[in-house]
Amino acid sequence: MSADILEEHIGSEYKYGFVSNIESDNAPPGLSEEIVRFISKKKNEPEWMLEFRLKAYRHWLTLTEPKWAHVKYEKPKFNEIIYYSAPKQQKKLNSLDEVDPELLKTFEKLGISLEEQKRLSGVQSNVAVDAVIDSVSVKTTFKETLAEKGIIFCSFSEAVHEHPELIKKYMGMVVPYTDNFYAALNSAVFSDGSFCYIPKGVRCPMELSTYFRINSAGTGQFERTLIVAEDDSYVSYLEGCTAPQRDENQLHAAIVEIIAHKNAEVKYSTVQNWYPGDKEGKGGIFNFVTKRGICLEPNSKISWTQVETGSAVTWKYPSVILKGDNSVGEFYSVAVTNNYQQADTGTKMIHIGKNTRSTIISKGISAGFSNNSYRGLVRIQKGATGSRNFSQCDSLLMGDKCGAHTFPYIEIKDKTGMVEHEATTSKIGEDQIFYCKQRGLDTEKAVSLIVNGYCKEVLKQLPMEFAVEAQKLLAVSLEGSVG
Amino acid sequence: MLAEKLSVTHQLSEELSKISGKASFMPSSEIGKALQYLEEHGIPNNKQEEYKYCNTEAIIRKEFKSLNGKEIPASKDLKNRYYVGGAYNLYLVNGRFLEQQSEIPAKTMITSIEEVPGAELQKHLSAYAKSDGDAFAALNTAYADRGLFIKIEAGALIEKAIIVHHVYTTKDSFFFNARNLFVIEKNAQVRITEAFYPATGKNFLNNLTEVFTGEHAQVNHCQVQNAGNSFYGVDTLAVSQNRCSNYSHSVFTFSGALVRNNVAVALNEEFSECHLNGLTLSKNQQVVDHHTLVDHQKPNCQSNELYKGVADGRSMLTFNGQIFVEKDAQKTNAYQSSKNILLSDDATVNAKPELEIYANDVKCSHGTSTGKVDENALFYLKARGIGEESARKLLLHAFAHEVIGKVADHDTAAFVEILFENSLN
Repeated sequence: MSADILEEHIGSEYKYGFVSNIESDNAPPGLSEEIVRFISKKKNEPEWMLEFRLKAYRHWLTLTEPKWAHVKYEKPKFNEIIYYSAPKQQKKLNSLDEVDPELLKTFEKLGISLEEQKRLSGVQSNVAVDAVIDSVSVKTTFKETLAEKGIIFCSFSEAVHEHPELIKKYMGMVVPYTDNFYAALNSAVFSDGSFCYIPKGVRCPMELSTYFRINSAGTGQFERTLIVAEDDSYVSYLEGCTAPQRDENQLHAAIVEIIAHKNAEVKYSTVQNWYPGDKEGKGGIFNFVTKRGICLEPNSKISWTQVETGSAVTWKYPSVILKGDNSVGEFYSVAVTNNYQQADTGTKMIHIGKNTRSTIISKGISAGFSNNSYRGLVRIQKGATGSRNFSQCDSLLMGDKCGAHTFPYIEIKDKTGMVEHEATTSKIGEDQIFYCKQRGLDTEKAVSLIVNGYCKEVLKQLPMEFAVEAQKLLAVSLEGSVG
Repeated sequence: MLAEKLSVTHQLSEELSKISGKASFMPSSEIGKALQYLEEHGIPNNKQEEYKYCNTEAIIRKEFKSLNGKEIPASKDLKNRYYVGGAYNLYLVNGRFLEQQSEIPAKTMITSIEEVPGAELQKHLSAYAKSDGDAFAALNTAYADRGLFIKIEAGALIEKAIIVHHVYTTKDSFFFNARNLFVIEKNAQVRITEAFYPATGKNFLNNLTEVFTGEHAQVNHCQVQNAGNSFYGVDTLAVSQNRCSNYSHSVFTFSGALVRNNVAVALNEEFSECHLNGLTLSKNQQVVDHHTLVDHQKPNCQSNELYKGVADGRSMLTFNGQIFVEKDAQKTNAYQSSKNILLSDDATVNAKPELEIYANDVKCSHGTSTGKVDENALFYLKARGIGEESARKLLLHAFAHEVIGKVADHDTAAFVEILFENSLN
């Protein structure tokens, strides 16, 4: 089946590149304390939140952009970006009927029908969606059903008002605003995002999902996601994203923080499909994201799965700090780059607790003129006895104009630690293609088949509900890169 | 930050110009480039990606603030102390070649680098190690005042190994910049082993060797680094390979407070092949940092790397291997493997195997693993009546043998074997 889906997308254009005609409310372009105050005021935030933003902003002013990644791009002009843009909304919405029909259409086009979801409630495989357009969360479905179990799933700004104690406690715990250039920027100007809290002993009955979309021109998107899983809880979370086709580069700088308490498990899956720019490498999203989770207490588990197909430039390292004893961190990634895309992505696994384990499976595919890098860190701290890591990062090259790179860092300070790392780089074997062709598949189909098999280890980690969508989104424009 | 670094650099430069002046054999344009590089970048510290695990600036600031050392003339009986039968023995004291005591084979030209005719040098000197790419290469270019020149003439087959004995005898702290050039001409074959013996004073050796291998040349190059624990060294090796040549390099590191090895091999023409091996046993507070770069510039070349390390005490052992495959280098085969054993809880192993690939029809892989001595194997031996300590040593020996076994010269292999054994005790 996967081969069909891939094939369907061979040579396909970016199909989410439309612009929705939704009136939006923008801040003037540029960044200053005024803008930070403007955003905070717009969102009706309490004083402590504004303080946090201002502290972050002042810290950001002292930082310079990181240059170590293996990517080349024209530096975003931070004073020309619109830091706040929201669909115009007069009053609070109570039902879907009141939602701007243009907006609903947008999500239907994206394949996420909010209405459909509502009607199908009660069906086993259902999903709660928080839809974020430009900078603001427009609608969260299934809120009531989740509330019955004590699960909080709402937009970040709502959480600031309704659960300030939780936000105060956890925000910045894993990614402080001093972490890096883009984390500081995000902390200063973040507009919205999702907040998810799973209380003690609760197994979240459905997948939670956030859908991000950049719509307005000239805007940047800065959202923040915070997931807290209390003792013995479980949640699976999916994030998807798209953007319209534009000639300019738009900036997306998000923060995701995950906190897992004792015995808790969080599974975070991303299907990243921001607009990658056109065939000449014009336009596209700059995706500079800080994602990190902490296994705070014993026996907790955090798992990242990502399918990266979009963005002109990606700079993203979902990481896990394994602090609790016996905690587990996982990272599964497929990164596809084509045309002039550049991706520098990977993970960090920091082993602090005893008997902590981590697995890294990274599959990179480069085609066209693209460059795809894996950059990762595995660190076993002193005292992390009996820790174990296995990493595998493979690269597949399609075409002789692209590049595939690996930059793994391995630091071991404990003699009982076991770390293995392997990486291979190769092209699709001609014998493999020959085998398929001999059995009646044409070259393109054979390539799709092989690529799908190559990625299977990662794709199978995605939640069932999204497997199909994810495979659809893994739209490899392989046209012309065969042979 | 840079200002601080530059002050260390300036101070060092000042001290160096006092003791060595400018290199007489180096073209002034190269010296200019090198000085400019130093002025712009300074001595690297751990903020530079390339020196992340090896803070040379801090070491120089702390240990080599003033170079008040003196060279002590070596005793005349070098031959009695360091000699390998069935080989050509060459002696270098404090990086200066002792022609009288050395045995020079036919069809070669072996001399001190200052005495090489200009035309001979011109073609190769500074052609492979860029004067403005790394601070230590730059320092070397600017201040080197000694070194060894070896030329193996076209078609010469040197049957016995050439053993270079490096002896360091100084008092107090000294900073050497030694520049060596090995030219192995077309169709020549040679085995060169360089042995560094424990030094007397506190030395910093900034050693730079450029190697050129002509068409179809075959070179086995070994370095045995055992210069003692008051020895600090940055060893840069820049190799340029011509068509169908074969270059093997093995480096064995047993002592040295700081050992930083920069090995860069450029496979400049088709069908050339290189093998890089390393074995390290680090102890105490040692910092050992191996950097390798294999640059596949042309199609149909092969490279193989195997670096193994055992880290004990509070030592820090680093391996950073880069494989670079350029756009046109199709049909490249490049393999890299790094395996490490940690013997103590205070030791650190860092590994950073990198691949940068711009051609598609290639087979490249790297693998690295770090762990402890295999408990099952240990149990197996203990069950057969071998004591824990002996069993552990046996296993470490087996671990090391994979690298030692790759040394082509038997005398060298036996020598390394003994050093490894002694270091284990």
